[in-house]
Amino acid sequence: MTETFEQKIEQVKKIIEKIEDGETSLEESIRLYEQGAALIRQCETLLAEAEMKITTLSRDA
Amino acid sequence: MDWFNSEEPQAGGKTTPLRVSEVSAIIEDLLDDERLQGIWVRGEITNYTHHSRGHRYFSLSEKGSGANAAVIKCVMWRSSADRLSFTPEDGMEVTVFASVRHYAPHGIYQLQVEEMLRAGLGEKYLLIEKWKKELAAEGCFAAGRKRPLPAFPAHVGVVTSETGAVIHDIRNVVSRRYPTGIIISPTAVQGDGVHVDIAKAIRRLSGLADVVIVARGGGSFEDLFPFNHPDVVRAIASCPVPVISAIGHEVDVTLADLAADIRAPTPSAAAELAVPDGAVLRQGLSGLKSQMSAGLNNRLLRAKQTAGDLRDRLRPQRFLRRISDRQQAGADLADRLERGILSRIQREKIALSGLTAALDATSPLKILAKGYSVVEKDGCVVRSAAIISKGNSLRIRFVDGRSLVTVEHVEYDGNL
Repeated sequence: MTETFEQKIEQVKKIIEKIEDGETSLEESIRLYEQGAALIRQCETLLAEAEMKITTLSRDA
Repeated sequence: MDWFNSEEPQAGGKTTPLRVSEVSAIIEDLLDDERLQGIWVRGEITNYTHHSRGHRYFSLSEKGSGANAAVIKCVMWRSSADRLSFTPEDGMEVTVFASVRHYAPHGIYQLQVEEMLRAGLGEKYLLIEKWKKELAAEGCFAAGRKRPLPAFPAHVGVVTSETGAVIHDIRNVVSRRYPTGIIISPTAVQGDGVHVDIAKAIRRLSGLADVVIVARGGGSFEDLFPFNHPDVVRAIASCPVPVISAIGHEVDVTLADLAADIRAPTPSAAAELAVPDGAVLRQGLSGLKSQMSAGLNNRLLRAKQTAGDLRDRLRPQRFLRRISDRQQAGADLADRLERGILSRIQREKIALSGLTAALDATSPLKILAKGYSVVEKDGCVVRSAAIISKGNSLRIRFVDGRSLVTVEHVEYDGNL
């Protein structure tokens, strides 16, 4: 799950690049913005819901 | 030859006496040999004195019968002696780290001691040196195999004692920064043979954690000694995921630290390296958010500008202006046409009046006015007397009237 946090951030960065790029059409930019905003919301949720789980391995293994 | 007063150097210079300082310099040069610099030497302390300025003077002796006995004078300056963890005494077996120095003012050579360890410890130091060489040859410490730490580990493996402050500190830091999974692989960290336990604990995490912390609280050199053992070092070097070491205090460097991908000064610092900081991540997210909004706003602004430009280009005023331009051009043409025609007419008028004048000059009326008359017969001008005869009725035209006459006589003079 946390691995995808990183991937989501990467996606958002790519989206920003595309929006800033003059080649992208307005419609595409708006669509990308919505996509990016959704990804950021997901990341925020991941951060908010992260919880520490502690496991202790058996020494016999 | 004057044997006593000659100042001339003899052939080969062999009999010229060298100055003491020259010999001293040669000795110093000879002693500057790598076999005598930065070496570990073991021996028994004799003639130990603690100078009031803090320097220690003593000898290292090796007992032996006759020619096997040996003694070397030693000095340990205050700066090095201050780090001693015990008080040396005569008869104590020690291992020193030293270099041989020639002291010209006293004409002696001595070991300048930087570090002194009690014999048993010295053995361990030497063992570490030996392991270090072997493990380095195996590539355990190679800078090239150091790996970057994962940015977002799902599971942090921790090899340490189940009890004690270390695991507590790590849990605190992880829960504060970025809560994630912690897998504790417990191990004993002190006592004989614990290196086996530590190495096992590291291997046990294989495939379970994304990053491994190997940690131990501060302790004496001997307490930390197991972390120099090749078993532990190899377990770290062969760990499939990056390893962060935090063993003892920052000044204590174990071979495990050298083999780790990165070394942290404390267990808390290791935990900080292992997991990202949630606060920073949130900040990063809000940064990305505003960057993305700014990007879209710019894009909208550009679109507006483009639309505005297009609208300007499509404005009816532009067409009207073009039409009026054409109208103007048409009017100009009409003007030119009119002016052209008028001036042409003017020119023609002038030409015509010229012609009229010329025509006037040659008018028959003018000739008649000079006294000439025109004779016509049956409406035709009579140019020759040959065509008229007696009795013909002729018409005479004067400038101011006409007369009808009858021919009474004709005299024809023949062809002229």
